[in-house]
Amino acid sequence: MTPREEKLARLAPALRQAWVREPEPPRLVSIFGDTGERGPSVHYLLDRGQADYEEIEVEAATELGSLTPLAPAAAWHEREVHDRFGTVFAGHPDPRPLLGHAHDALAAAAAADRPEFTPVAGEGITEVAVGPVHAGIIEPGHFRFSTMGDRVIFLELRHFYTHKGTEDLLAGLEAAAATPLVESVSGDNCLAHAVAYCEAVEQIAGLEPPPRAQALRLVGLELERLLAHVGDFGALCGDVGFAPMPALASRLKEDLLRASARCCGTRTWRGVAIPGGVTVDPPAALRQELAHAVEAAEREFATLAGLALRTPSVEMRFEGAGVLTAGAARDWAAVGPVARASGASLDLRRARPRGAYRRQAFTPPILAAGDVMARARIRVLEASLSAQLILETLADWPAGAVRHPVPAGLDGGGLAAVESPRGELLYWLRLRGGRILRCAIRSPSFQNWPALPSAVIGGIIADFPMINKSFNLSYSGCDR
Amino acid sequence: MIGDLLLRTLRAPNRLVPLASLGGDNAAGSRMPEITCAAMTPDIAGRLAASCPTAAMRSGEEAAGAFFELDYAHCIGCGRCAAAVPEAVGPARSLPVCGVQRARLTRRWNLATGAEVARPPLSGAALPLVGLWPCFDPRQRTPAGAQGVPQLPRCAPTAVPELPRLDRWLGRAVNIRQLDAGSCNGCEAEISALNNPYYDLERLGAHFVASPKHADLLLVTGPVTRNMEEAVRQTYEAVPAPKLVVAVGACGCSGGVFASSPAVAGPVDRIIPVDAYIPGCPPTPAMLATGLAAVLRRR
Repeated sequence: MTPREEKLARLAPALRQAWVREPEPPRLVSIFGDTGERGPSVHYLLDRGQADYEEIEVEAATELGSLTPLAPAAAWHEREVHDRFGTVFAGHPDPRPLLGHAHDALAAAAAADRPEFTPVAGEGITEVAVGPVHAGIIEPGHFRFSTMGDRVIFLELRHFYTHKGTEDLLAGLEAAAATPLVESVSGDNCLAHAVAYCEAVEQIAGLEPPPRAQALRLVGLELERLLAHVGDFGALCGDVGFAPMPALASRLKEDLLRASARCCGTRTWRGVAIPGGVTVDPPAALRQELAHAVEAAEREFATLAGLALRTPSVEMRFEGAGVLTAGAARDWAAVGPVARASGASLDLRRARPRGAYRRQAFTPPILAAGDVMARARIRVLEASLSAQLILETLADWPAGAVRHPVPAGLDGGGLAAVESPRGELLYWLRLRGGRILRCAIRSPSFQNWPALPSAVIGGIIADFPMINKSFNLSYSGCDR
Repeated sequence: MIGDLLLRTLRAPNRLVPLASLGGDNAAGSRMPEITCAAMTPDIAGRLAASCPTAAMRSGEEAAGAFFELDYAHCIGCGRCAAAVPEAVGPARSLPVCGVQRARLTRRWNLATGAEVARPPLSGAALPLVGLWPCFDPRQRTPAGAQGVPQLPRCAPTAVPELPRLDRWLGRAVNIRQLDAGSCNGCEAEISALNNPYYDLERLGAHFVASPKHADLLLVTGPVTRNMEEAVRQTYEAVPAPKLVVAVGACGCSGGVFASSPAVAGPVDRIIPVDAYIPGCPPTPAMLATGLAAVLRRR
C-alpha cells in the first residue's frame, strides 16, 4: 500500500468512497458531530461544485479514521468534534484539545503528556508569544512565533478564548427565538449569520420570504460587506503607517452606519432578519436616502483607495508580502476574499445564488497573486460591486409584504450557506417540534484561520500585523 | 498621492458632533427601548415581559405590591417589545443611564398606580449632580441589595476610598485600555468608531493605549469566558492603581444572551470589580462617549 492508500484505508467506507470518486478530491466544507436521534454521528460536508453540498453521515464509533493526513483543512474540525463528542480520530497528527484549553479537565489531561506548543528548537531560534490580550481594540487570541532574526520560521495559533458554547445554547430554543443568539456569533457579520440561520429555518418550513424581504436582506448583506471592506482597507493602510486612510475610511463607515440607522432604525442590522422575512419595511424616501449615502461613500472610497494604492510607501509594503499560494488556499480549503485573492473562484452569490441574488448578473473579482496587495485590491473591487448591487436592488424595489408567517412546530433538517463579508458561512440545522435539536455553525473564519500561518511563515515578524489584518478574520466567529 | 489625500481630508466637511448634543440622541440606531405609555398596566407589563427574550423586562411582586422592571443591563435592543406592544414602547432617542452604577440601569413601575417609581437615592443622601460620578463617593458604596434591587453577586469595590476625587486626580487626561473578555466583536466595532471624525474621543482627553500598564481605565466588553477568566484577572492586576473599570454592552453588564452558558464565567463584575456600566447591544458610539464623559465628569 502507498502512504495515500494507507491513509484512505483508515477512513469510514462512505467517506473513503466519496473522497476517491473523482481524480480531484472535493473541497472540504465542514465536519461536525451530532448526538442525533439515531445515535451519535459525524457529518462531513463536501463541495464538488454541484448545486448542492454533498453530506456524508458516518455513525460515530468511538474511533474513526482521521481525514487530516489527506486534507489539512480537516484538522481543527476533527479536534472540535473530539472535544465536544469524544470521538477519537485515529491518525490525526495533532490531537490536542481545541476548545476548552484554559479550563477543561480533558484539556488538562491531554496537555499533561504533550507540550503546550509545537517545540521548535535550534541555534538562534527565539520564541515570541503574543496574546491572548492584544495591543489594540481587537479580539483575544494567542500567536506563538518561532523566529530566526526577523524571519518567522514557524507560527502556531491558539484560539477559542472567546468560546461561548453558542451551539449548545442554541439547542432547545424555539426556532423563532434564536436570532439574537446567532446575531452574536460574530457581531460585525451579524446580518449574514441571521440570514443564514433564517434561510435554514425557511428551508425546513418549505417557504421563501417575500421578494421585498429578499431585497432588503440583499441590501443589508451587501452593506455589511461594503462596511467591512472599507474598514479593513483603512485599517490595513493604518498598519503600514499611512495614517490618513484609516481616518477617512472610518468617516465613510460612520456615514453608512448613520444612513442605516435612519433607514432601518439600527446601525448594525440586528433584529432585522427573522424566519419568514424581515421586521422593517423602510419607505421610499428613506431607501432613496440610503442609496445616496451608498453612492457617495463608494465614489469617495474608490478615489481614496486608488490614491492610497499608488502611494509608494503603501505599495512597497503590500506587494509580495504574506503570499498565500493557490495550493495552500486549496489545502486549507480557504474561503471568501482570502481565497479569491489567491485565484479561487468561490463566491456563493454566483455559485449558489439564493434570494434576490438570483436576479442579479455579475462576475465576482478574482486575483491570482495571493499577497497583501491582492487582498487589499479584492476588497476595493468587491466594495464597488457591493455598492452596485445595493443601488440596483434599491432602484427596482419589489412590492408586497416583508414577512410570511412561519408555521409552529417545524420538524426536519436544513442547510443554508451565505456569502458573508469573510466568505462562505454555513448553518446546518435540525428542528424537532419547532425547537432546535442541533445547529452547527461553520464560520468562514474557522476555515481561514488555519491558513494564516502559511502566509506568514517565511516573512518578517514586523509584517505580521499587516498580513493578519489583510485576512481580517473574526475570533468570535471562529471560537463561537 | 499622500498630498492629494491630505487635501481631500482638509476639504472634507467637518462632521464632528458637538459634545453638548451627544447625549440628545445618543441611543439613535441602538433600538434600546423607552416606555412611552402614560400608565403601566398589569396587562401591558405582562405582554412586555412575554415579548422579551432576555428578561430585561420582567414583572414581580413585593411587599408594596406588583411591579414591572426594565433592566437595561440585560437589554439587547432586539425591538421585540416595541413590535409586540407598540402603544407602550418605542425606540429611545436618548439613554441617560450610560456610565452609571449597576443599580441605576434598572427602572421600576408600580403596577397599582401605573407610575414609575422614583429612584431612591443610592445611599440615603441625594446625588448632588446629574452626571456626577458616584463611584468616587465612598457614601455610594453601600451594597445595592439594600434598595431591594435584584443584584448579581459582585466583586468588592475598587479599594480607592482614600481617593474619592480620582476624576480630579486624573486631570484632563485618561488612558483607556480596551479589553475583550469574550465578546462577539460588536462592541469593539462601536468602540473603534469613537476614534472616527464624528466622535473624536481624544477631545475628552481620552486616549486608547496598547498596554494595561499604561492605562487608568479598563473598558471591558463581552461575557467573561472561562478561557479568558485568568487573562482578565491578570490584565486587571497589571493596571496600576488607582484604576477604573467600565463594563460595556449587554454581555459585559449582565452576560447578555450568553449568561447561562457553561463556557461563560459570568458578567465582568463577577471576575473583577466594576465601577460603571454602559449598556447596549452594542452601545452606539454616542452612548459610549456619553458614558465615558459621565465617568470623566465632562458633562
